[in-house]
Amino acid sequence: MTTPSRANSGGPATAGRIVRHALPDRVFHWLGAACVLVLLGTAFLPIIGIEFGWVTVHWVTGLVLIAAVLFHIVRVLVRGTLGSMWLGRADAADALEVVRATLERKLPSRRPGKYSVAQKFIHHAFAVVVLTTSITGSLMLARIDTPWWQRNPYLLADATWGIVYVLHGLGAQLLITMVMMHVYFALRPEKLKFTRAMIRGWITRREFDEHHDPQRWQVDR
Amino acid sequence: MELFRVSRDIYGREVLQGMSWDLLWVFFGLGCVLIVGHALYRLILAPKQR
Repeated sequence: MTTPSRANSGGPATAGRIVRHALPDRVFHWLGAACVLVLLGTAFLPIIGIEFGWVTVHWVTGLVLIAAVLFHIVRVLVRGTLGSMWLGRADAADALEVVRATLERKLPSRRPGKYSVAQKFIHHAFAVVVLTTSITGSLMLARIDTPWWQRNPYLLADATWGIVYVLHGLGAQLLITMVMMHVYFALRPEKLKFTRAMIRGWITRREFDEHHDPQRWQVDR
Repeated sequence: MELFRVSRDIYGREVLQGMSWDLLWVFFGLGCVLIVGHALYRLILAPKQR
């Protein structure tokens, strides 16, 4: 979530480019993505029979992900950019328009602001699932020895631990489907501009004019 | 297919251990179905994007 602004590094190479994701947001995205992939790999490869010492890599990577998420939350709150990902009436109208256009096999006539309603939904889905797995994972850290504390399996009652494990496992397995979908859409030809923006930071002025409503995503002219 | 993993404590009571790992393939399969379904929709039914 970035404050809309024109690319300001100057020169012909950046003329007509609009910053979509600032560098700290891109670093957060790719660090988070790497952490999630490592966490999924260390969680599920041993389950499907690929045995290795996964516990230390898993919890250390989990701590890195939690730190990254905290950084992201603080950055959004400090910069006051929560609104760019907020779901409002206009998004409800967008969703209805997408449904109507899909049924009529037409292109939607409404253009979104910075983020489409689908992009907001996938963001919120990842937020809920990653926060759930992070909170439950943090509790589960009490059950392993680390350089800073000894394991304490009696922190919670057995039934409560069961709920913690269910939520952690459910979130982790949901992430499999969500990551697959996210990568698929990121690689679709019509979405590559968003993937490029998450790598290099910008979209072109033409892409902005074609795909975004300038009233809903106000950038410097 | 079980939804949950359970064990029994020393008193013989069922104790919840977490989600069943059999569901791993369900979530993976769901991802594949959604991807193939969307790709086919875009290929066959959807109008061309701007």
